[in-house]
Amino acid sequence: MKTKLLKIKELPIILILIVISIIISVANPAFMTLENFLDILKSNLVLAIMSMGMLMVMLTGGIDVSVSSVITAVAVITGYSLMHWSSNLLFTILVAVLSGTVMGLFNGLLIAKLKIPPIVATLGTMSVILGLVLYITNGTWMTGIPEKFIDFGRKKLITFPTGDGKALGIPIQFLFLLVAVLATWFILRKTVIGRGIYAIGGNRDSAERMGFKPDRIIIFVYAFEGFLIGLAAVAHTSIMRQVDPNAFLGFEMQVIAAVVLGGASVLGGYGSILGTLIGVSLFCVINNGLILMHIPTFWQKIVVGLIIIGSISIDMTQKKRTERNKTRVDVE
Amino acid sequence: MKKKVLAVLLVLMLCISMTWANGSSDKGSDELTIVVMPKLVGIPYFNASEVGAMQAGKDLGVNVIYTGPTTADAAEQVRMLEDLISKGVDAICVAPNDAAALTPVLMKAKSAGIAVLDWDTPADPNVVDLSIHQIDDKQYGEHIWDLLVEGMGDTGDYAIITGGLSAANLNSWIDAGLDYAKKTYPGLNLVTERIPSDEKQQVAYQKTLDLIKAYPNLKGVVGISTPAPLGAAQAVEEKGLSDVITVVGTSLPTDSGPYLADGSLKVGTLWDPSKLGYLTVVMAADFLKGNKPVDGQMVENVGKISVWPDGRTVIMGPPADFTKENYKTFNF
Amino acid sequence: MKPELKRRLKSKEAVLFLIFVVIFVFMSILSPTRFLSLYNLQSMAYQLPEFGILALSMMIVIITGGINLSVTYTATLAMIIGGFAMSHMFAGGSSAGLSVLVGIILMLAGSLACGAFNGYVIAYIGVTPMLATLGAMTFFEGISLQVTRGGAISGFPIEFIKIGNTAVLGIPVPMIIFLFVLATVYLFLERSRMGATLYMIGSNPKVTRYSGINVRKNLFITYLIASLLAGIAGILMASRYNSAKESYGSSYLLQAVSAAVLGGTSIAGGEGKVIGTVIAVLIIQVISSGLNIIGLNRYLTNVVMGLILIVVLTINFLTREKQFRNN
Repeated sequence: MKTKLLKIKELPIILILIVISIIISVANPAFMTLENFLDILKSNLVLAIMSMGMLMVMLTGGIDVSVSSVITAVAVITGYSLMHWSSNLLFTILVAVLSGTVMGLFNGLLIAKLKIPPIVATLGTMSVILGLVLYITNGTWMTGIPEKFIDFGRKKLITFPTGDGKALGIPIQFLFLLVAVLATWFILRKTVIGRGIYAIGGNRDSAERMGFKPDRIIIFVYAFEGFLIGLAAVAHTSIMRQVDPNAFLGFEMQVIAAVVLGGASVLGGYGSILGTLIGVSLFCVINNGLILMHIPTFWQKIVVGLIIIGSISIDMTQKKRTERNKTRVDVE
Repeated sequence: MKKKVLAVLLVLMLCISMTWANGSSDKGSDELTIVVMPKLVGIPYFNASEVGAMQAGKDLGVNVIYTGPTTADAAEQVRMLEDLISKGVDAICVAPNDAAALTPVLMKAKSAGIAVLDWDTPADPNVVDLSIHQIDDKQYGEHIWDLLVEGMGDTGDYAIITGGLSAANLNSWIDAGLDYAKKTYPGLNLVTERIPSDEKQQVAYQKTLDLIKAYPNLKGVVGISTPAPLGAAQAVEEKGLSDVITVVGTSLPTDSGPYLADGSLKVGTLWDPSKLGYLTVVMAADFLKGNKPVDGQMVENVGKISVWPDGRTVIMGPPADFTKENYKTFNF
Repeated sequence: MKPELKRRLKSKEAVLFLIFVVIFVFMSILSPTRFLSLYNLQSMAYQLPEFGILALSMMIVIITGGINLSVTYTATLAMIIGGFAMSHMFAGGSSAGLSVLVGIILMLAGSLACGAFNGYVIAYIGVTPMLATLGAMTFFEGISLQVTRGGAISGFPIEFIKIGNTAVLGIPVPMIIFLFVLATVYLFLERSRMGATLYMIGSNPKVTRYSGINVRKNLFITYLIASLLAGIAGILMASRYNSAKESYGSSYLLQAVSAAVLGGTSIAGGEGKVIGTVIAVLIIQVISSGLNIIGLNRYLTNVVMGLILIVVLTINFLTREKQFRNN
């Protein structure tokens, strides 16, 4: 019964995803190909990894607008480490993950210990981190990434031969996404912290009475988000083969939008991994479909805006109806 | 507690400001002060022009202030110019984010006795004393299309990826190129309107992947704005289509090195932005000393310039083309 | 009287004002002849209004527990619609006065239409404000691009340009408009019954609904009013910048949110004062202009802004802690 209910909650958005996919593939059969799916996967991995961290933050009733600055800073540090310290893969990941975690920890401390509202605290750290990174790098691209690391970025996990002698493959960076999803799933479903996250998002006071320590949980959540951003930065750098300090300007909005589109509540306590992944997919599919459907450039933003508002409105109306039905059952 | 913190803060700030005020700043001097304002700071192109502008300042013994907004927003640019008029400078050289938007503030500058120049992108011709162009926009657009045809032949499908839909100079190159193609290369078929890439390589990469699938007969991609050709080249290389699709565009030689080397980017074409910065400062300083530019004048460290009959439009010269063979000889 | 005065001196706004004074004095000492010149004070008075009005617009929405990410694109869409009509009429031979009048009316009407769109989606369909306005932001930008094709609309009559570029008795016209807007917003929010309702909705929408108040209608009107303010900011920008384009003022979005929260508006809703937001706007203006005149790297200016945001909120927290302990 419980699992059935969970499935229903994500149903409207899944249906929207399916409908949009069908429309696109009718317009252009190239959409429903393995090649296209792999392209979508590769170019949106970073968004998906970061959405996992954002989901966890939003479950606690928080929000993080500094994600784009943090990934910029981590990418720059990673790039520097690759070029000046070592091109060893494990070392690189370690550097990235550590620097991400430290920045996340800083956010977490501001929010948990100084009780600064999350959006304000992260707005502040966003200006500070991005300002410093751009002051130091002056926006200059780092292009001397070692070949060894670039070769790693080109690796494929599994390859599928195609008819014309070429081969398609799942990009190696998929592993990072897998780690991110599994870690998030494990924490949310299998640990006390996970239960705490949902609890403080639902009602902080009662969570505290239940014996959870909200401060520690919040600090953990932001640090974990920083950890995932570290992974995302490595994946990004290995795909793009250079570091552009301006590459993520405005990216935070995409991450937040994808998570909210996936059904997570801005007020906390509600949201799921499956929903978030569907939200991310919806976002990617819409963007991918714009060109595949030959939609003229100057119409694209209008279409995207309307789809976002339209699908979330459908989702909302659907939820209201379910709720009304539920109350009716209660009364009866 | 609060009072103490504030008191300490106050004293600290006063101390800093006293020492700073003693040290420098704010005192009038005989040195000319020339402001060079790019569209935005912190991107490779305008970093390179900063180097040139500062060098010219050193060589000529004038004080150069190179500053600009952190996003390409005309509103921010106007505010900064207003502040700089308050500061009291001798010349303002600006690359407008939007020509019309800057007219009122540039008129204010003129009435405050400040010389007004534009560079990189023309401002309202009625308010500028001198206009420094890297190249004639029309010639440049035509040159890019010539390069495209050299690579893909004069028939077939092609697409344009631009930095942003509202970037005035990018649009004027594209418009010039499209006009030219209509007359000279009627066999070229533009598959869809120009596609924006937000000045980001990964967006250009993603859009090119989509284009390749949406238009299977695609033979050419024109990338306008420095990251756009690189993203397009990366997508083409990953799909193994370097021999099928010709990518050309406006990129910096150092950043495009890897793509030129692996053949995915056929040709990049751009002037040396540092020379443009240098020339701008030289022209401003000359103007302040009462010297007008003349056609065919030899400018040290820049080369021979041409001047239009109106006596105030200065053209730096033709762009350089970067190919697999020669890109290593450029240092910008 | 005395404890009342003492309480006021200890309020968030008083602390904020003190910080403003400190920063102002700091900048004046750093640059006595330039920052503290009449010219610069006037120039700041030209710059501040458009941003100040956008910050007030953002604040009204935040008080009801919402947020409006489409605020700058509302302003630009409004100015593009009005500007389009104005320049076409003027070019077509209509008198300047009539073109300006029609242009301004259409700008205000355009902003109201944007507000109605947001208000309907948020209040009546029930979409989270953040997502609704994010979608609206893309949507409005798309329409603007469709109209302008990426270019700017210019060719306005000089009478329109004068609105944003002239001064009366040394006071810039935009500043006079700002003061008028400020007074109106203050009376509306803090002295009217509907204002009180908005605070109630922000602190607890459920309870408000049970107490018989039409939350939906009030929310809808909130977005209308907030968008109308954005439209006024749009008029000022179009006039000051002599043209209309979809990207004008895009850097104001996060700054407007920062100004509202720096001014003591609670992001969760239900709390916030007009005077706080105004002081915050003053602080941001003085830092931005001051550091620019001194010649600090533009990125370090952003760092300073971020640090001030964090420091002020930390001070607020320490004050609250202390009061809590004393009680």
